[in-house]
Amino acid sequence: MRISWNWLSEMVDLTGVGGPQGLAELLTRRGLEVEAVESQGAGLEKVVTAKILERAPHPQADRLSLCKVSMGSGEPLEIVCGAQNMKAGDTVALAQVGANLPNGMKIAAGKIRGVLSNGMLCSEEELGFQKKSDGILILPETTKLGVGLAEVLGRSDSHLTLKVTANRADCLSHWGIAREVASALGQKPKRESPPELDFRNSPIAVHLEAGELAPQFFGCYIEGVKIGPSPDWLVQRLEGLGSRSINNVVDATNLVMFELGQPVHAYDADLIEGKVIGVRLAKAGEELALLDGKTVKLSGTELVIADSSRAVGLAGVMGGGNSEVQETTTRVFLECAEFAPTSVRRASTQHQRKTDAAHRFERGVDPAGVAFAITRLAQIVTLLGGGKIIGSVAALKPSRKLEGGAESREIRMATGFCADFLGIQLSEAECQRVLESHDCVVCREGSDFVVKAPSFRLDLSIPEDLAEEVARSVGYDRIPSIVPALTTPPTATVANASGMRGALINRAKDMLVQQGFVETLNFAFTSGRWLKECGLESKVKVVNPLSEEHEVLVPSLLPGVISNVLHNWNHHFGSEALPLRIFELRPTFHLEPGAESGAKAQGESETGVQERWKLSLALTGPRASGGLRSDQNESDFFDLKGVVENLLEALGARGVRFSPLSASRSPIEGVSALFHPGQSVEILAGNQVAGVMGLVHPARAKAWKARTPLLLAEMDWEAISRLCRPAGDTRAYKAWPEFPSMERDFAILTRTDVSADKITQVALKAGRPIAKVAKIFDIYRGSQVAEGMTSVAVRVIFWDESRSLQEVETETASKQILEAWKKELGAELRG
Amino acid sequence: MLEKLDAIGAQALKEVEAASSLEIVEQARIAYLGKKGALSEVLKGLGATDPSERPRIGAAANEWKRKIEEALEARKSGLESLELEKRLREERIDISLPSRQPHKGALHPITQVTRRIVQTFARLGFDVTTGPEVETEFLNFEAVNIPKDHPARDMQDTFFAGPGVVLRTHTSPVQMRAMREMGKWPVRILCPGAVYRCDDDATHSPMFHQVEGLWVDHGVKMSHLKGTLEFFARELFGSGSQIRLRPSYFPFVEPGAEVDVSCFNCSTQAGSGVVARDSCRVCKGTGWIEILGAGMVHPRLFEMAGFKDKSLTGFAFGMGVERIAMLLHRIPDLRLMYQGDVRFLSQFS
Repeated sequence: MRISWNWLSEMVDLTGVGGPQGLAELLTRRGLEVEAVESQGAGLEKVVTAKILERAPHPQADRLSLCKVSMGSGEPLEIVCGAQNMKAGDTVALAQVGANLPNGMKIAAGKIRGVLSNGMLCSEEELGFQKKSDGILILPETTKLGVGLAEVLGRSDSHLTLKVTANRADCLSHWGIAREVASALGQKPKRESPPELDFRNSPIAVHLEAGELAPQFFGCYIEGVKIGPSPDWLVQRLEGLGSRSINNVVDATNLVMFELGQPVHAYDADLIEGKVIGVRLAKAGEELALLDGKTVKLSGTELVIADSSRAVGLAGVMGGGNSEVQETTTRVFLECAEFAPTSVRRASTQHQRKTDAAHRFERGVDPAGVAFAITRLAQIVTLLGGGKIIGSVAALKPSRKLEGGAESREIRMATGFCADFLGIQLSEAECQRVLESHDCVVCREGSDFVVKAPSFRLDLSIPEDLAEEVARSVGYDRIPSIVPALTTPPTATVANASGMRGALINRAKDMLVQQGFVETLNFAFTSGRWLKECGLESKVKVVNPLSEEHEVLVPSLLPGVISNVLHNWNHHFGSEALPLRIFELRPTFHLEPGAESGAKAQGESETGVQERWKLSLALTGPRASGGLRSDQNESDFFDLKGVVENLLEALGARGVRFSPLSASRSPIEGVSALFHPGQSVEILAGNQVAGVMGLVHPARAKAWKARTPLLLAEMDWEAISRLCRPAGDTRAYKAWPEFPSMERDFAILTRTDVSADKITQVALKAGRPIAKVAKIFDIYRGSQVAEGMTSVAVRVIFWDESRSLQEVETETASKQILEAWKKELGAELRG
Repeated sequence: MLEKLDAIGAQALKEVEAASSLEIVEQARIAYLGKKGALSEVLKGLGATDPSERPRIGAAANEWKRKIEEALEARKSGLESLELEKRLREERIDISLPSRQPHKGALHPITQVTRRIVQTFARLGFDVTTGPEVETEFLNFEAVNIPKDHPARDMQDTFFAGPGVVLRTHTSPVQMRAMREMGKWPVRILCPGAVYRCDDDATHSPMFHQVEGLWVDHGVKMSHLKGTLEFFARELFGSGSQIRLRPSYFPFVEPGAEVDVSCFNCSTQAGSGVVARDSCRVCKGTGWIEILGAGMVHPRLFEMAGFKDKSLTGFAFGMGVERIAMLLHRIPDLRLMYQGDVRFLSQFS
C-alpha cells in the first residue's frame, strides 16, 4: 500500500520525524514495514521553469537550435536544443548545470557542435514523467518563472510503500497510518467533520437479506451531479497512490477508500430498478456483468448487491456494469457497507478479483467507521460534482449501532501481565498509558486491567495482543536477552525415536562422505515423463504444480540422482572421464494401501500418503581421482557392492543379503527396465526386498549417452534401519586368533553358473569347525578350460581359538572340502 | 716361508683394494682365504718347517688372515654403499607427478548448515523432531491458527496433493504433532525439514528447508526468546553478533517479530580488508540482515494441542536454511542448491 507524505501531513504533524526516511524507520520499528520510499521530486532538484526569449538556428548544425532562455531574473542563458516543437515565448523546463535527471542524465556545461550550452531543455521522458515522449515539455503560459519544476507541477510529494501485515486492517488507509503515527508521536490525529447526514427520506430503500454477512449498509442519494474530470490535485493524488483517475465521482469513492480504509461505491441512481437496493446471497447460476467488462457466473455462495430485479454488484469486490456511473449520469446513489470478511474473501478468490476493496473487506473494516465514511463520501462528491443531497438511508442489523459500530470487546488481564510476559521492566502506569495511546479504554478492577479495544482494532482480542501493543510501542529493544534455564534435562538421543533415527541418518551420510560420495538434494516433485523414462510411475500428484516438471511426487530417489549424473556429464568440460559418486537420502511418496484414488485427508492428521525414506547412490567413472592414465580404472559393479557393504557394516546392519534379480519377486517398480539383468541384485533385509543395486541397462545407458558405466543403488531406509545397530549400542571387544592359522589354496573346475558364494559356503560347512575363512582369489574362463566351465582359485584359512592346529587336521578338513565340492557342486580339483 | 706369506698377503691386499665389484671381492676371499686358497696352500707346507719356527709362521699367517679379512670387509662395505647410492639414484621419482587421491565426498550445504543449527540449539537442550512433508491442511493451517478464508493464507502459496492434503508450507505442523503426541510439557523441540511453496526465482525455490524451534513451559517470557536467539546468532555468525527484533505478524505467534542479525560482512569502521558498510552487498548498507521470524506461541495453538493449562507460555522461531547457507557461504543464487552440480556441492566440505 502506498501512502502520500503530503496527505498524511494534513492529518498528523510530521515535523521532527526526520522526513519520509525517518517516517519509514518509525513505521518499520512499529511493525509496519516500509519497503520503499520514493520522492517525486527526486532528480528534479535543479530543474526550473524558464521562458524561451529567442530561438535561432545553430550555426554548425541544421537539426539543432540555439535558444536564449530566461529564468525571470539574472542573465539569460544560451542553450543548445535538438527538439523542434518550441518557439520563442514558450515556457519550458530547464535543467541547469549540475542537474542529475531522473533518467540518469547528468547535466554539465559543454560545447555542442562548437557552441557552449549552459543546460538542457527537457522532455517528459528525460524528466521521468513518460516512458517515451516527442519534443520538449511546454508548460502553460501563466507558469511562474525560475521556480522548481516539481513545485510547479505539484510533484513534490513523497510516497511510502508499506507491507501491511494481514492482522492490521486498520492500517490500510491514510487515516489508519495517521492514527499509528500520532500514537507514536504523542499526538491526536486530526480531520475535519463533514456535515452530518440525516438518514431519512432516501428515494431508494435498503433491504438487508444476508444476516450477519452484511450487518450494515448506508446509502445517500444525490441529484444534479455533474460528472466530469477530477481537479488536478485529485488526479495527482490518486496517481501518486498508483490509481488511475476515472471521473470525479469514481475518484471520490477511491479517495475515501484511501483516506479511511472503507471501500465505497457509487451507482447511477436511475439504473437502480424498483427504487430498492439490498444485499442478498446470489442465486446459483445468476450472471453478473462486472465493471471490468467481464461477466461472471455466480455459484450462490457470494453476496451480491441487488435492486428489485437483478444483481448490480459483487458485494465488497466489484460493482456491476449495469449500474455504473457514466458521463450522462446526474443522480447518484452512494453505498457504504460492512460485509463479513470471509464472505468477501471467498467471492474474490473464487472469481479471481483481488481488488483494493476486497483486500480491505477480507481483513475487516472498522464497524464504527462505516457511518462516518458515507458522510465523508457525500461531502466529497458534492464538492467535486455539485448536486444536492436528497436523502440518506441507514440499514443496520441489531448487532450494529449507528453510534459506535459493534459491541466492543473486553479483554481482562492481570495488571502485571504485559511486563511478565515480555520479561521487561514496565510499571502498571506506563502499561496503561501505552494502551490508552492506542485508543484503548483501560479500567482497573482489583488486580486486573479491563481493556476495551477500539472498534477499528479487530486484531486485539486476547491479553497477548495487548502485550504486543505494549512491546512495539516501548520498542522491542527494551526486551532484555535472557537465556532460559533448563528445568528438565534434555532427552537422551537413545531414549528418543526421532533422535535415534536422526543419529543413524547422520552416520550413514558421514560414512558415504568418507567413501567419496557427494550429497545432493532434489525436489520432491518431478515430471511423469522423466519418471517413465526411468521406468517408474507416481501415484501421488500435485494438484496445482508450477509446471509439468513438478506434477508428481517422487516414488524413488533414483530419477533425481540419475538427473544429477546427467547434469554433471553435460556440464563437464574436457575429454577425461569424470568420477562421480552421488547420494541422496530423503523421503519418497506413495499412496497408503486403500487410498488408490489419490491423496485425501482423513481426520485431522491422515493424508493417505505414505512417506518412505530411501537412500540412493550413483557411481560412475574412474576408481580414483588424479594419477596417471594407467591408474584410472573404471568403476564396476564390485566398487558399488563394496560401498554398500562398507556402509551396511558401518551401520551394524545384520541380515542384509544380495540376491540375483528374480522375476517372480520384484516389488521395486521399473527395476527390469532400469538395470542390466545380469549385473544387478536385489538387496534383501531378512526376507523382504529392501533395495536394488547394479549396472544401468545398456538401453538406458545409450539413451542417456552415458560416458562411463553407470552404477545405481537404492535402499528402503526404513527396512535397512530396522536391521541396524541402534545409536548408543556400543560394540564389544572381540579377541583375534591367538594361535597361528594355516592356509590351503585350491584350484577347482566348476560350472560357470555355480556362484562364488555357493563355493565358499560349501567349503566352510565341510571344513567345520576349523575352516574359518574361504575366499575366491581368482577366476579363469577361456581356452584352457571347457566351455561353460570356470576355473576358480579358492583359499581356505583354518585356525582354532584354543590351540595350534596339527598339519593332519587341515589335511583332513581339506579332503572333506574337496569331497563336498564334488558331491554338492560337481566341482573337481583342477589337474 | 715367511717371505712367501708376506708376498701372498701383499698381493691379496692389493687385489682386494682394486676389486671393482662384490663378486670380485668374493672371488678374492675364496682365492686367498678359502679352503683351497693361497694362504691355506702355503700353510700346507707348515709340517715341513722347523717346529721352533712354526709359532712365528702361524702368528704371521693369522696376522695376514686378519688383515685380508679386514680389507675384504672394508672393500665390501665400500662397494655396498656405492651400489646403494646407485640404486637410490636410479629409483629417484618426479614427486611433482599427479597424485592418486581417494574420492572426496561432501555433505550438501543445507545438511551442513542444518547440522550447525541443530548442534547450537542442542546445547540449550532442544531435541530434534521430524514429521511428514505431505501434511493435512488442518495441521498445516487451522491447527496453527491460520483458518480457512483468512488473509494470512496469502502469506504462503500452497501446493495441494489432494482434498485437504498439502505439501507442508512450514514445519509448524511438526510442532503441533509433537505437542499432541507428547501431551505434556516442557516442550523443547527443533523441527528441521523440507517445506514447499509455489514460488520459483533466484531467491525463492518451490522446495526449501526450514528449522523451527519451540519451547513451552511455565514462565517462558519473550526475553527468553531474545536470549535464545542471541546465543544462536553468536554461535553461527560470530561472537560479536547483535540481534534486533522488529514487530511483525505470523498467525501462530503473538507478539510476533522478524529478527535481524548485525551484518557480519561489513563495518562502519573503514580499514584494510574490511568491507565498508555503504558498499556492503550482504546487508545492502543497512548493517542488519533478516534471518528469521519468531514470537510468543499464540494461545490458540495450546488449545489445538490439547494443553489445558492456561498459564502455559512458550516461544517459537523459524528460519530458512537456504537463506542462512547463502549468507554464510556467499552463494548468489538459490537455484544452485538444487542442480546437483558437484562443482558446487564439493566446495563446502
